[in-house]
Amino acid sequence: MTILSIEDLKCHYVTDGSVVKAVDGISFDIYEGEIFGIVGESGSGKTTIALEIMGLLPENVNIYGEVVYNGKTISNLSGEERDKFRWKDIAIVFQNGLEVLNPVINVGRQVTEPMIKHLGLSHEEAEKRCMELFEMTGLDSSWMSSYPHQLSGGMRQRALLAMALSCSPKLLILDEVTSALDAFSRKEIRDLLLNLQKECCYTMIVISHDITFVSSVASKIAVMYMGKIVETGPVRDVITSPRHPYSRGLIHSTPDIFIYKDMWGIPGDGFMGGEIPGCPFSPRCTQKTDACTKSAPLLCACGNNGRKIACHRGGIVSLLEAGDLKFCYQLPDKKSLQAVDGVSLDVKEGEVLAVVGQTGSGKSTLAHILAGVMKPQSGEVYFMGEPLCPEGYGSRFNGIQIVFQDPFSSTSSRFTVLDAIKEPLDINKIGTKDERLNMVKDVLGLVRLSSEESFLKKYCGELSGGQRQRVALARAMIMRPKLLIADEITSALDVSTSANVLRLLKGLQNRRGFAMIYISHDLTLTLKIADRIAVMNSGKVVETGNAHDVMLSPSDEYTQRLVGSRIGLCCHTHEAA
Amino acid sequence: MKKDRNSFIFRFLLTLLVILAINFFLPRMMPGDPFSTTSADVAGDEIIVMTEEQREYYIGYYGMDKPQYEQFFIYLKNLAAGDLGKSISYKMPVWSVIKIHLPWTILIVLCATALSTFIGVIFGTISAKNRKKSSDRFMMAGMIAFAEIPSFLLGLILLLIFCVYLRMFPLAGAVTPFAVYGGVLDQAWDIMYHAFLPVVTLSFAQLTGVYLLTRNTLITVTSKDYIRTARGKGLGEKIVWNRHALRNALLPVVTRTGFMIGMMMGGAVLVESVFSYPGIGMTLRAAVVGRDYPLIQGILLVLAVSILVCNLTVDKVYQMLDPRVSV
Repeated sequence: MTILSIEDLKCHYVTDGSVVKAVDGISFDIYEGEIFGIVGESGSGKTTIALEIMGLLPENVNIYGEVVYNGKTISNLSGEERDKFRWKDIAIVFQNGLEVLNPVINVGRQVTEPMIKHLGLSHEEAEKRCMELFEMTGLDSSWMSSYPHQLSGGMRQRALLAMALSCSPKLLILDEVTSALDAFSRKEIRDLLLNLQKECCYTMIVISHDITFVSSVASKIAVMYMGKIVETGPVRDVITSPRHPYSRGLIHSTPDIFIYKDMWGIPGDGFMGGEIPGCPFSPRCTQKTDACTKSAPLLCACGNNGRKIACHRGGIVSLLEAGDLKFCYQLPDKKSLQAVDGVSLDVKEGEVLAVVGQTGSGKSTLAHILAGVMKPQSGEVYFMGEPLCPEGYGSRFNGIQIVFQDPFSSTSSRFTVLDAIKEPLDINKIGTKDERLNMVKDVLGLVRLSSEESFLKKYCGELSGGQRQRVALARAMIMRPKLLIADEITSALDVSTSANVLRLLKGLQNRRGFAMIYISHDLTLTLKIADRIAVMNSGKVVETGNAHDVMLSPSDEYTQRLVGSRIGLCCHTHEAA
Repeated sequence: MKKDRNSFIFRFLLTLLVILAINFFLPRMMPGDPFSTTSADVAGDEIIVMTEEQREYYIGYYGMDKPQYEQFFIYLKNLAAGDLGKSISYKMPVWSVIKIHLPWTILIVLCATALSTFIGVIFGTISAKNRKKSSDRFMMAGMIAFAEIPSFLLGLILLLIFCVYLRMFPLAGAVTPFAVYGGVLDQAWDIMYHAFLPVVTLSFAQLTGVYLLTRNTLITVTSKDYIRTARGKGLGEKIVWNRHALRNALLPVVTRTGFMIGMMMGGAVLVESVFSYPGIGMTLRAAVVGRDYPLIQGILLVLAVSILVCNLTVDKVYQMLDPRVSV
């Protein structure tokens, strides 16, 4: 049964003539006993929704749409009529702050206040109940006579919770309950909430930017961006396979989900003020089309398990799809070597797919086929929905580029830096001489190399390994690829240089938003940058999945051996021995 | 805690010493002395000019022939023994003079403070509740315009209207001279009757300050999170305003009121002059005109001490009202 439904809610803050659309057309239903999570970056409008459900938005907010509680529209009631619902039916645990409780009234009094008002309890009864509540939330009842400033952040959070529970509300809203807490208190509060929910069957709305926390309590989740819901569905589904580029970015920025990976936020800032005619996420989106900048997408059902997504492109699109690729080398002794044996994989827009496997497992052959450098003997490769054409996609902008393992053979020592980098432009006859020079200077800046005249005139032979690999990278970047295939690009470099090149590459990928196939035999390195991993053995992909799932709990026997063969953590094993 | 207390006492004593020094030397820096009054205060008064021998006799009698620093030490020594000295013009101990006049000033100051705080808070609350509405704008404009009228001018206007033309209130004095009272109530009524206009005048001078402070702090306080919390609890606007908003908003008002009592004690001099009210202010004015050094010193000391006491009381009261200020 629906306990709360929100119909096309819009909350527009009006200040000095400018309008900020904090909440811009949101609808959702919450069923009795459910825990509903709302996540999003700060300023996405999460708290505004909570305040509107409570009817606590200030006067300078224009509110459209409806909030229906138990079949009764409460959004158009007067403050006095709403008082009948407040706390008794719908209560909120406010975002913790120094001034969220009245500084001159003791905590006990503030907790008992609503009980006296709504439940008609006497002072003594209310105090007795307050003691129980304090104990329930893990707070000693002696704190009742203290003032808010005497409590620590965690204790204040418990007091706020006790206050919210005082009238046994049917719907409980929790606004950022854990963001100010340390790990211990956070876990305690979470366990407490789950226990209470089991005992008392509250319906809960959990609002937080802390995805880990929300996903650990909620059953359904909505991801908000700039006042709109961009994706919603069952928690597990959304977290493990986000469909909207924003949800994916948000999940990838969460350290608890990918523990070993370097963190990279979503590039760009949420738009402040003004009006975006199209999809609000389009300025930060890597897969936008013309339609995205013209009209805002609606939240539409996708799949049949209650998942909905607001994206003109139906969520994150597949950039490259390969089906049943085969390639066989003929060896001189008439034997044949099946290097690639029925490989199927897909690369999503903006993601980093790592292909790992031992030397000779067919990784590089696969890379060459995907880049269009080699033709598969059977099977098809589709790039952006079209079959890979004979001349490949390397000769145009927004295509596929590949960077090879060995910079010393992939860039000619007799070329100057300028010639090496602008070679693809020369071959494909793109731009005038000056335009080419400018483009070269731009990409040199991207890969953190000098764009001075003297450096441009240097011969590649004069450069160090790291510099030459960056020149190779610059040559790929000058064609602005949508997909970059990096084939063991760091294996010829020393640790420090390889770390620098890798961070540069990942940084570029994050900023530019291209997708990447990262081919490597180094598992630890892979964990740091990959979103998904495909494990190859003898020409076959034996396992694919979320990078951490694959590495931490490999299911295939070969993957297990590969993971187990790392020498890593060497100092610890020495101590053990 | 003990160290705090010691430093507090030290600071208090130091302040007192500075005040005493200023009280002592400042009157003596004015031209003239108690025995060379050459101008009449009121037209028609007889101007008495003393002979040189008489002058010297009196100067010696009051110990003014000694060097000033020596006089200062004698003053301090006597003060330590509780002796404020003897008034030259009244020919009686300074303390006795003060004892007669101080209660009248305290009466009107306390009444004025109570009245202005009460009305100021109420008006301020009304104004804050109707913020940005025309009633608030109208009230605020009126209050500010009112604050620009100097209190003595306002006193004169009230005096003219109510005492001279309407004859509703007495022109001067704190009690009806030679009155025989039927009872305590009768006497109290007479005292209030005389004090009414001075109190009103003094109150008006304070009203706008209290009003503005209440209005502004209330507006700040109502935007705080805890007010939203209280609203969210569905307590109703009445409890939200009275219990949650006003209690916080009144904290600065309490501080201000406390300080104002001390300031008004000295500031009452103009109003007392206008209404010929026999308070400490009137006495001070007479003492200054007559260069009655001991009396000037005594009155200034009493005023300074009362300001210090008020500040101290404010600190204590604030500690009781705001739990964040630890005791």
